[in-house]
Amino acid sequence: VDIPAMRANFARAAATGDEAPLYFYSHLFLSHPETRALFPVSMAHQRDRLFAALGDVIARVDDLEALRPILEQLGRDHRKFGTIAAHYPAVGASLLATLEHFDQDWTPELAKDWTEAYTLVAEVMIEAAEAAAEQPAWWEAEVVGHDRRTIDVAVLQVRPRARYDYAAGQSVSLETDVRPKLWRYYSPANAPRPDGLMEIHVKARDGGPVSTALVRRIGVGDVLRLGPPIGHLVLHDDSDRDLLLVAGGLGLAPLKALVDHVARKGPPRRVDLFAGFRTEDQIYDRPDLERMVREHPWLTVTFAVSEDKISGLEHGDIGDVVLRHGPWNSREICVAGPAVMVEDTVSRLVASGVPTQRISSEVFAPSRPGPSVDGEVTE
Amino acid sequence: MTTDQSPAESPAPPAERGLTPADLHNVRFTRASMMRPGYVDTEVDRVLARVAEELGRLYAEKAALRDEVRSLRAQVDGIVVPEAPSEQAVRILSSAQQTADNYVAEAEEFSRQVTHDARVEYEEMTREARETAGAILQAAQEAAAKIGPSATPGSERGLEEVEEQVAYLKAFGQAVRTQLRSYLEALLTDVETEWGKADPAVLPVARPPAQRSAGTTTFEANTVEEPADGAAEAVPAATGARRSG
Repeated sequence: VDIPAMRANFARAAATGDEAPLYFYSHLFLSHPETRALFPVSMAHQRDRLFAALGDVIARVDDLEALRPILEQLGRDHRKFGTIAAHYPAVGASLLATLEHFDQDWTPELAKDWTEAYTLVAEVMIEAAEAAAEQPAWWEAEVVGHDRRTIDVAVLQVRPRARYDYAAGQSVSLETDVRPKLWRYYSPANAPRPDGLMEIHVKARDGGPVSTALVRRIGVGDVLRLGPPIGHLVLHDDSDRDLLLVAGGLGLAPLKALVDHVARKGPPRRVDLFAGFRTEDQIYDRPDLERMVREHPWLTVTFAVSEDKISGLEHGDIGDVVLRHGPWNSREICVAGPAVMVEDTVSRLVASGVPTQRISSEVFAPSRPGPSVDGEVTE
Repeated sequence: MTTDQSPAESPAPPAERGLTPADLHNVRFTRASMMRPGYVDTEVDRVLARVAEELGRLYAEKAALRDEVRSLRAQVDGIVVPEAPSEQAVRILSSAQQTADNYVAEAEEFSRQVTHDARVEYEEMTREARETAGAILQAAQEAAAKIGPSATPGSERGLEEVEEQVAYLKAFGQAVRTQLRSYLEALLTDVETEWGKADPAVLPVARPPAQRSAGTTTFEANTVEEPADGAAEAVPAATGARRSG
């Protein structure tokens, strides 16, 4: 297999920007019209994603062992999109047609190498998908509560119709019929409960199709689809260090779940939660957090505002406020929120002497369509 | 025993012709005799034997055909690739998709801008209202404190007036908030409809807007029940409002 030739060939297609993925999808939909229904109306973001993912695969094509876990995750994750084994050869044929179309020097050798490589990739993905076949490809979950807390934040209570296992701090991809085929990641704000209820915090992003629909169009009785959970902030099982949790805006959700986890499962430990918002008006979950503080003597919650001159709460960026209450050198620390806030808070904590390995963080980007092949949640 | 078509050959038609359903329908057995009622049993046995033989032959033939189908289908799967779409078709679909993508992107961008502008306006107005109300409150409290120590009948009346004014201002602030909020909601609903137009597949489902919870809104230190939408035209009378905390 001539890997440099394959890379050069791929680079030629990738250099056309949107042209190659556009050609690929049109070719796929014309030769296999049944695949069109797997994709959203607008394909713009999808096209970016396809070649990014392919590029990642090409970059590692000579190291199958490094590639395997990524492909397995991709294969499992594609089940929720409705992908079946029969789709793989269809995709392969259109991919080959695309690579040929954009390369003047296409050779039968290239065709053979690509076919081999693709077959291998498809086999790994199909195998992983089939190995996961005993769990559902997606779970239906009914919205049983929809509470508008502020002008753009809603707290949803959803109940999966079948058993849905996840850990506090994980993210769940979800889709609504109102915005078909657009999957977004949200973190449940509670640890798994005996009755299966999950609390989902959603902020309507300006112009965001899914978040605005979840906040303003979805109501009690609507049904969402959930994909399998993926891990992010997870507490170290063997540690009973006291916790410091730092939330910016909607980053509160996974951290509230961690508090709930400590309340349900232990081990007993002090938990100090800091939640930063721009203004006092935007603190959308205050009554429930205050209820938790009343119920749990080991918990403190400190609110801070960064752009509210007349609020009686603590002022300043949340990272700054946290440090004022320090030192936190002995704590296990989780930080979740917008990228700027997470970077700022983590770097302040590290500068104050907290060892990096005891800080875990999750960035909440405005749109979180899905994890990349590296398993990172992307913008 | 006779059959209609071939009485002469009955009951042994040529083997290669096989036994047809019609043959069986048309079988007529001879009555045995007055002494032994029923059909002649040799005839019946002969027909049964032939039916069994025919059935066996059909089963074998069916199995052979099934194998043939399977091998043919395997060949077909291996060979037949759906005809590659023409370059022209790919181009047409590509440009159609791009047009659709552009419309959706424009709708999203429009929605983003309108929502953003509305939010900025809302936040600015809320902030101003809060600051104004805060300043007035503070002035009122300072005035009340000044009057407080020397409590004469006249100053008590003054205190009462100040309290009344404070309560009125709080209610006024709340009403402004509520009006702003419903104005913004209406704007957002418009935006939502525009988005729907860009994605007609999801439009036909007429659904009521997401339920608003009857929550409470915090205004300064006071907690005031949020009035229902539309009930905010008139500033509530000051007398009913609670004391500030």
